[in-house]
Amino acid sequence: MKKDIVNATLLWIVLSILGWILVLNWNIFPPALAREARIVDDAFNLLTVLAVPVFTFVVAILIYAAFRFRSPGGLEDGPPIQDTGRILTAWLVVTIALAGGILINPGFVGMSEVRGEGGADVVIGVTGQRWSWTISYPNGVDVTSYTGELVLPVDQRIQFDITSLDPDVIHSFWIPAFRIKKDAVPGRITQMFITPTETGTFAEDPNVRVQCAELCGQGHAQMSMKVRVVEQAEFDAYLDEILAEGG
Amino acid sequence: MWPLIRGTLSGIVGYMVGALIATLTTTSTFSGEFALVLGFVFGLLGWLFGIGMWNAWGREWVGLTPKTEKAEGWRRYLRFNTDHKVIGAQYLVTMLIVFLLAGLVAMAMRAELASPGQNLFTADVYNKVMSMHGILMIAVAVAGILGAFGNYLVPLMIGADDMAFPRINALGYWMVPPVAIALLAAPLVGSFDAGWTAYPPLSVLNGDGQVLFNVAVIAFGLSSILGGLNIVATVITMRAPGMTWSKLPIFVWAAFAASILSLTVTQFFAASLIMILLDRIAGTTWFGAPGGGTALLYEHVFWFYSHPAVYIMVLPGMGVILEIISHFSRKPLFAYKAVVVSFLSIAGIGSVVWAHHMFTSGMAQNLEGPFMALTEAVSIPTGVIFLAAVGTLWRGKLWFQTPLLLAFFWIFQFLIGGITGVFLADFVTDLSLHDTYFVVAHFHYTIVGGSIFALMAGTFYWFPKVTGRMYNEKLGKIFATWFFVFFQLTFIPLFWVGLNGMNRRVATYQDNLGGVNRFASMMAMIMGLSFVLFVVNLLWSAKFGPVAPANPWNARTLEWQVSSPPPEHNFPSPPSVDGGPYDYGVVGAPTHLREVADPVG
Ligand code: HEM
Ligand SMILES: [Cu+2]
Ligand SMILES: [Cu+2]
Repeated sequence: MKKDIVNATLLWIVLSILGWILVLNWNIFPPALAREARIVDDAFNLLTVLAVPVFTFVVAILIYAAFRFRSPGGLEDGPPIQDTGRILTAWLVVTIALAGGILINPGFVGMSEVRGEGGADVVIGVTGQRWSWTISYPNGVDVTSYTGELVLPVDQRIQFDITSLDPDVIHSFWIPAFRIKKDAVPGRITQMFITPTETGTFAEDPNVRVQCAELCGQGHAQMSMKVRVVEQAEFDAYLDEILAEGG
Repeated sequence: MWPLIRGTLSGIVGYMVGALIATLTTTSTFSGEFALVLGFVFGLLGWLFGIGMWNAWGREWVGLTPKTEKAEGWRRYLRFNTDHKVIGAQYLVTMLIVFLLAGLVAMAMRAELASPGQNLFTADVYNKVMSMHGILMIAVAVAGILGAFGNYLVPLMIGADDMAFPRINALGYWMVPPVAIALLAAPLVGSFDAGWTAYPPLSVLNGDGQVLFNVAVIAFGLSSILGGLNIVATVITMRAPGMTWSKLPIFVWAAFAASILSLTVTQFFAASLIMILLDRIAGTTWFGAPGGGTALLYEHVFWFYSHPAVYIMVLPGMGVILEIISHFSRKPLFAYKAVVVSFLSIAGIGSVVWAHHMFTSGMAQNLEGPFMALTEAVSIPTGVIFLAAVGTLWRGKLWFQTPLLLAFFWIFQFLIGGITGVFLADFVTDLSLHDTYFVVAHFHYTIVGGSIFALMAGTFYWFPKVTGRMYNEKLGKIFATWFFVFFQLTFIPLFWVGLNGMNRRVATYQDNLGGVNRFASMMAMIMGLSFVLFVVNLLWSAKFGPVAPANPWNARTLEWQVSSPPPEHNFPSPPSVDGGPYDYGVVGAPTHLREVADPVG
C-alpha cells in the first residue's frame, strides 16, 4: 500500500514536470500588441501552470490504477476503505485554497489591471451593423470596414465607445491581437479600453483585425476590418488624410 | 401501430385547426408565424389525445372509465404506455437516434470547416445547420440520461413498482416526437439560424423558422419539467421500506438533484422564448431598443436556465459514472455523503452563476466580480466528484469491462472540461476566450465528455438488464477506445484555433488556421465512423447476444436482483432493503435487498 502511494506520487511528479516543460516552452498565443493582451496572456499562463499538477494528479491515478489494480471477473472485493474524513478534509483544504488563490490572482488582480485607470487619450466610436463596422475618429470622420481600416496610435490609452445600429442585432467588437472584446448592443453604448504597445498590421498577422464575435447572421464571419497600429505622428497624418479626403 | 396512426391523424387535424384559426382571426397567412404557433399548439394537443391521452386520461374527465390498451412485444413501445421501463427504453432509443442524426449534421459542419473558404454551404445555410446540430444535441444531453436511465432505473433502484405519476411520465415522453418533427421541419419554412442560444434581436428579426424553434423548445421544456417533477416525487415518496436517504444509490441522488433543477429553472428558458414570440408576433418590445426594451434582458433570463442546464446534463452523468466505478472496482463509493452534498451544492450554486456568460455583454460592472467568485466556487463541489472517483478506484479490484473503460475516459474528459472551464470563469481570460473555438472545445469536453460518454457507459452497463442479452465486449471496447482517441484528436486542436483568432459560429475563417482545422475535420470523420460499431453491436446483440443472467456484474443494487429484463411490476412483491448499495468487501455486511416481502393474502 505504501508502495502504491510512492509509485503513484512519482508518476504524478514526472507527469507534472513534463507538463510544465511543455506549457512553459510553448507560446500558443498570437502576437500580443496591447497592454491588455499581456494581462490576458499572463493570466492564461498562470492558470495553465496551476492546472498542470491538478490535471496530472488525476491522470496519474487513472494510469496507475489501470495498470496496477486490475482483477478480471468481478468476483474479488476491494478493501472497504471507509474512514474518509482526513483525506476529504485535506482535499477540501487544497481545492478551496486553489480556488481562492486563483480568484484573487489572476481573478480580481487581473480584473482591476485590465480595467486600468479611468480616462483616455483618444476616444473612438464604433458602430456595428449587419455586416460592417463604422469607426468614428476623433476628428469627426467616419470610416467603414467596406473601404477603410482601423488605424490606432501606439502607446495611447484608447477608449472605444461601442454600439450597434438600432434596430439591428448584437455584435461583438474583438481584436484578437489585443485579446479582449466587448459586445455592441442596439440602444446601448458599451466601453472598452485598450493601450496598444506595439505597431503592427493585418498584413503581418491576421489577428491584427477587428472581428465580430457574436453571431449576427450570414455576414458574421466576414464582419471584420483590418487594423493598423502606428506611431503617433503617422496617426495624426492619417487623420489629416481622411479629413482631406472629405470625410 | 394503430395508436401512432391515430395520433398522427389527430395531430394533423389539430394543426389544421390551429393554423386555420390563426389565419381567420389575424392577418397571418396559413404558413405565417402565428399560424405556425397556433398550429403547433393544437397539433401537439391533437397528437397527445390521439396517441392515448384521451383513452388513458381524458375519458375520466367526462365520467367514462379510462381504457388501457395492452400490447405485447415491440408494439408496447409504440403506444401510450405508462410502464416506466417502456418509457425509459423509448427515451433511450429516441435520444440515440436524435444523437446519431445530429452527429451526421456535425460531420457536415466539419466538412465545411475542413478548409478556410466556403465549400459545402453558404454562410446562411451553415448557420442553420449549426443551429440544428446545437439544439438537437442539447436536447439529447438534457433528456438522454434522465429520460432513459432516470425513468428506467430510479424506480427499480429504490424498490418501487413504477414512478409516482405514470401517466404524466408517458405524457412527457410523447411530447418529444412533435418537438423533433417541428425542429426537423423548420427548414421547410426557412429554418432558424440564431444558434441554440437564440439571442434577440437576431432571433426576433430572422426568418419564420425561428418560431418553430421556439414552440418546439418550449414544449420540450414542459416535458423536461414534468419529467423532473416525476423523479423528485418518486424519490421522495416511493422508496421501499429500509431504503433510507443514505442508502440511495448515487445515480438516484444525481437524478434527484438534476430533476430539482429541471423542475425549477426550465421555466426561465420557456419564458424568454415566449417573450421572443411576443416580440415577433404581438409587437411587444421586450428586447427591441426602439420600443424601450433591451437585449440584455434576454441574456439574463436565458442563462438563468441555460447555465443550470449544463448541470442537468452532467449531474446524471456523474451519477452513472460513480455508480459504475463503485461496482466495477468492487469497493464502497468513496466519500458517499460528501458526493451527495456536492450534488446538491452544485445544483444550488450552479443556479446563481449565470452571468459568467455575460462578461463581455456590457452588463453592470459590479456584477462581474461576484459572478466570477460564485463560478469558481462551483469547482469545489465538482472537485469532490473527482475525489470520489479516484478514491474509489484506488486499490480497487478493477474489472475492465466496457462500462468501466468508458468511465475512465469520462473522468479524463470531464477533467479537461472542468479545467478549461476555470479559464472561462476567470474574468480576464474570458474576455479573450468568450465566443471563440476555445469555448467550442470546452463545452464539447463537458457535454460530450460529461453527458454523452456517461450515456454510452450506462447504455452498455444496463444493456443486459434492459434487453436480457449481453452485448459484445470486444466490440464495445474497440468502440469506446476509438471514440475516445479520435475525440481527443478532434477537439484538442480546437482549443488552439480558438486562442489563435477563430471565433465560433463561422463557416469561413482566416487562411492560417486551415491546416489545423483540416486535421480536426479528418479526425472528426474517423470518430463519427466509430458509431457504426456502436450501432451494430447493440442491434446485433439485442437480437442474437448470449442470454444475460439477472446479475452479470455481480452488483449489489436492486435492479440487478430481479430478472433481466425485470418483470412487469419490477418486483414479484414489495421488497425491503437492508445493507448499503456499495458495501463491497465489508465483512458481515447484509445484502442490499433484504427480501421480497410475502405477498399479502
Ligand atoms: C460528434 C462529434 C461532434 C462534432 C464534430 C461537433 C462539431 C461541432 C461544431 C463544428 C460546432 C460549431 C461550433 C460553433 O461554431 O459554435 C458545434 C456546435 C455545438 N455542438 Fe457539436 N459536435 C459534435 C458533437 C456534439 C455533441 C455530442 C453535443 C452535445 C451533446 C454537441 C453540442 C453542440 C452545441 C450545443 C453546439 C453549439 C451550437 C450553437 O452555438 O448554437 N456537439 N459542434
Ligand atoms: Cu457577428
Ligand atoms: Cu454557464
